[in-house]
Amino acid sequence: MSDTTLLAVFEDIDPAADAIEKLHEMGVTDENINVISGVPVAHKMLGRPHPWTNVSRLAMGGAVAGFFFGLFLNFGTPYLYNVPVGGQYITPVPPGLIIVFEMTMLFALLSTFLGVFLDSFFPNYRPLEYVAEVSDGKIAVFFRCAEADQKKFTDALNKMGAESIKPAEAQQL
Amino acid sequence: MLALMAILVATCLVYAWGYMISEGLGVAGVMRPSYWGIFLVNTVFWIGISHAGTFISAILRVFKAEFRRPFTRAAELMTTFGLIQAGASIFMHLGRVWLAYWLFPLPNERLLWPNFHSPLMWDLLAITTYVLGSTMYLFLPLIPDLAMARDRSTGWRKTFYKVLALGFRGTEGEWRHLTTAMNIFAFAIIPVMFSVHTIVSWDFAMAMRPGWSSSVFGPYFVLGALHSGMGAVAIVLFIMRATMKHMDYFIRKEHFDALGKLMLIVSMAYAYFFFNDYIVQWYGGDKATDDLLHWLEEGPMAWMFYQLIFFNIILPWLTLWNKKIRQTPWLLAIIGLLINVGMYWERYLIVPVMLTINRMPFTWKLYVPAIEIYLTIGTFATFTLFYMIASRLIPLIPVWEVQEGQMVHTLRKVGKTSVPTVSEFE
Repeated sequence: MSDTTLLAVFEDIDPAADAIEKLHEMGVTDENINVISGVPVAHKMLGRPHPWTNVSRLAMGGAVAGFFFGLFLNFGTPYLYNVPVGGQYITPVPPGLIIVFEMTMLFALLSTFLGVFLDSFFPNYRPLEYVAEVSDGKIAVFFRCAEADQKKFTDALNKMGAESIKPAEAQQL
Repeated sequence: MLALMAILVATCLVYAWGYMISEGLGVAGVMRPSYWGIFLVNTVFWIGISHAGTFISAILRVFKAEFRRPFTRAAELMTTFGLIQAGASIFMHLGRVWLAYWLFPLPNERLLWPNFHSPLMWDLLAITTYVLGSTMYLFLPLIPDLAMARDRSTGWRKTFYKVLALGFRGTEGEWRHLTTAMNIFAFAIIPVMFSVHTIVSWDFAMAMRPGWSSSVFGPYFVLGALHSGMGAVAIVLFIMRATMKHMDYFIRKEHFDALGKLMLIVSMAYAYFFFNDYIVQWYGGDKATDDLLHWLEEGPMAWMFYQLIFFNIILPWLTLWNKKIRQTPWLLAIIGLLINVGMYWERYLIVPVMLTINRMPFTWKLYVPAIEIYLTIGTFATFTLFYMIASRLIPLIPVWEVQEGQMVHTLRKVGKTSVPTVSEFE
C-alpha cells in the first residue's frame, strides 16, 4: 500500500494542536508529522517531541577549537617567528588571555552560524513541500498516511477546523 | 535624498580617500605631537554607535524585555553599518592601506609576524570578531523575514530574497536550530561587545600618558559607547517612524518611553564613571595631568569639555525623567543627537587634545583637521546611504519577532482594570 503526504492548514495554534492530537489517536506517529509556521511555536504547545539540534554542540566544539587556536597564536607562533623586544617576555600570559578569549568567541560564533546551515541543510533551493500562507500567521501540518486512508484523515481534520487539506506537493520556493 | 548621499559618498569618501592615498598622509592634519587625529576619533565613535545594536538586541533578548521587538533590526543594522565605518576609519588612519595585511598573522618569507602583546593587535582581533559576530547575528533573525518577503515578491526581488532565504520554510527543526543559535549569539556576543570597547579603551589606557592612563577607562568607554548608541537608536527610530509607511503601528510611543528610560539610566552610569575618571586624575597632583585638566577646563577646547558634560549628563537628567518628553519622538531624537555631539567631543578630547597636552610642553600644538573633515562627512554619508539602501531591501521591522510578541501578549483583568501580561514562551 503506498503512502501519501497530506498538508492541512490551520488558522491558529489551538486547532493545529488538537489536529495533531487527533492524528496521534488515529495512529500517525510523530516521525510522520511535520509542522510549518511563520513564528517559532514551542513544541509543548503542539504536543510535539522536543526537536533535536546539534547547534549548541557545534558551538561548544568551535569554542574549544578557538581556545586552542588562541593558545597556539599567542604561545606557539612567537617561538616560530621570534620578535625579541628588550626586557619583555616572548609569551606573556595577560595579553595571551585576551587573544585566547577573542579566538574562543570568534570560533564559537562561527561554528554556531555554520551549525544552523548544517542542521537545516541550508542553502536548499530544491523544490520543497511548502505553503506560503504560513507567513500570514497560519500553521501547516504535514503528515504521511496510507493513500487509502486519505478520505478518513481529511474528514477528521476538517472537523478539527482545518481551513484546507490537500496532498502536499514539492514546489519551487 | 538617496542621490545626495551617493554624491556625498562619492566625493567626500571615495574621491577624498583616493586623493589622500595618492598624495600621502601629508594632506591630513595629523602631525607631531598629535599623530592620532579624527580618524581614530571616528573609529571610537562608530564602534560606540555599534554597541546599541548588541545592547538592544542581545541584552534585552536575554532579559526578555518585550519592548525591544520592533526595533531590534534597526539597532542591529546600526551595529553592522557602524562597524564598517569604524573599520574604514582605521584603514584611512593607516595611510598606506595596501599594507594592511601586515597586521594579519600570515607566514611570509620576510618573517614579519604581528606582536600579540600590542593593544593594536588586540583591537584587530576584537573588532574582527565583533564585525563577523554582529553580521551573523543580524543575518540569522533576518532569514524568516526574507522567506516571508520571498513568498510575496516577484521579479528580481523574488530571486534576491530566494537566494538569501536559503530555502527556509519554517519547519519545527529549522526554528529550533535558528532559535538555539540566536540564544547562543545573544549570550556570546555580550562579552564580545564589552571586550571590543574595553580593548579600544586600552589602546589609550595602556600608555603612560596624562589623561589616558586610567584603570576605569574600560567601563567608562563601554558606558560612553552605550550612551551614544542609545541616542543613535532614538534618532533612527524617529526617522523611520516619520518617513516610512505604517511605522507608527510598530514603533509606538511606549517604545520611545522605554528607550528614554534606558538613555537616562545609561547617562547616570556614564556620569558615575566620568566623575570616577576625573576625580582620581584631579586628586593625583601629577604636574602633566594638572596641566591637561587646566587646559580642558580653561583652554581653547574648553567649550568642548563643557558641552560634553552638558549634553551627556545634564541634558538627559533635566529632560528624560519626564514621561511626556520621553514619549515625544522628535524630542527624544534631538536629545539623542545632542548626546552624540557630546560623545563625539569626548572622543575628540581624548584623542588629539590629550595627545597634544603631553609631558613635553615645547611640542604643544593644537591639531587642526584638514582632509579628515571630508572623510568624516563621507563616513556619515556612507552610514546613511547603507541604511537607506537597507530600508528598501529588507524589512526593518523584524516581522516574525513582532508576531511572536503579539502571540504571547494578553490582557488580564485585575480588579477594575486590564493589565498587559506576557506569557513565557519557551
